[in-house]
Amino acid sequence: MSGAELVEGPRDYEATLKAARARAESALREAGISFSVEEGKGFVDLVVDVDSIVKAAEALKNAGFTHVVSVTAVDYPKKKSIKVAYHVTSYLDPEIVGGIVGLAVYLPREAPEMPSLSGVWVSAEFMEREVYEFFGVTFKGHPDLRPLLLIPELAEKRPLRKDFVVREESIYEGVPERVRRG
Amino acid sequence: MEEGKVYVGNLDVAAKRARDILLGKLKLEKVVDWANAFSLWPVHLTTSCCSTEFAATFGPRFDGEQFGALPWVGPRQTNLIVIEGTVTRKMACAVRVTWEQMPHPKYAIAMGACALDGGLFYNSYNVVRPWEVIPIDIYIPGCPPRPESVARAIVELQRKIRGRRVASSWIREGWRPDRDYVAPKEDYCAWQKTSPLLERV
Repeated sequence: MSGAELVEGPRDYEATLKAARARAESALREAGISFSVEEGKGFVDLVVDVDSIVKAAEALKNAGFTHVVSVTAVDYPKKKSIKVAYHVTSYLDPEIVGGIVGLAVYLPREAPEMPSLSGVWVSAEFMEREVYEFFGVTFKGHPDLRPLLLIPELAEKRPLRKDFVVREESIYEGVPERVRRG
Repeated sequence: MEEGKVYVGNLDVAAKRARDILLGKLKLEKVVDWANAFSLWPVHLTTSCCSTEFAATFGPRFDGEQFGALPWVGPRQTNLIVIEGTVTRKMACAVRVTWEQMPHPKYAIAMGACALDGGLFYNSYNVVRPWEVIPIDIYIPGCPPRPESVARAIVELQRKIRGRRVASSWIREGWRPDRDYVAPKEDYCAWQKTSPLLERV
């Protein structure tokens, strides 16, 4: 918290994202953590190993990223992995307010397990519960790892994984076969 | 000291006799139906986003109270459920518990496309059809329905109560003659019982 004042009104998102990314990368480098960068239009993900994710989270928090916007996961069935991403930003640091940086990790799809970051960021606790019920990712050291929104029977099916099949929408639904063939 | 008299009687028989006299001989049926139709109290049970339109119905602009209905606090003092939109698996339990708590004669209105047949979420894993949970009297289409349609549904429900003598026959028979009592096929509150996933890891 130094330097510029907090500016009201709309901000230049690209510039803020650039500043936030530079801050996060230098923080990870100082902590001696190896990482790779995945980026696209408007987002940056810093991918680290499972073993070093707690150290990386503490380094980011000390660098000013005090707030977790969201914890989410992406299922990649062909790569047989699940990517868990923590999107972090700051409310108070004027340089990086609104610049969202992702701290991501790839886990094996069969038994996804990683240490919980709710000890570092308290606000991650409920979002980790949601990732647990929708994707089946187990967070070691989480204070209260239970399904949050779903009933347990549904949570066992892991409904947001790609292999969970829902009924498809179709104009032919309920139409007899001979009508469908024309 | 004089011996007192003890009157022995069956309360159920006495109540039934009084009910038959009031509703049968004195022709109070019409009065009961009329009174019931104009004292509809919807319970505050907000299942989903249609509740904003429901709130607008009873706000100052559309003024649903002029038709004889006003949202009231608890299920013990109300006799109408307006299902406001999508019913999720966990909310189905709350809907059923609320319905069981309400005194009869009681009615239900399903509001919005999601309450008809799932609507936008028709193939979702987490959505329940409300007519599988409680018996529905009136369906309102729309996504969300306008406040005018909610008011129209209340008027239609009043017409149904007075036209088919729903309330008085319900009181006389003890159950509703023109509709089978809907018992849900599955126990929607079963998830509250012990499950290995609910225990802390």
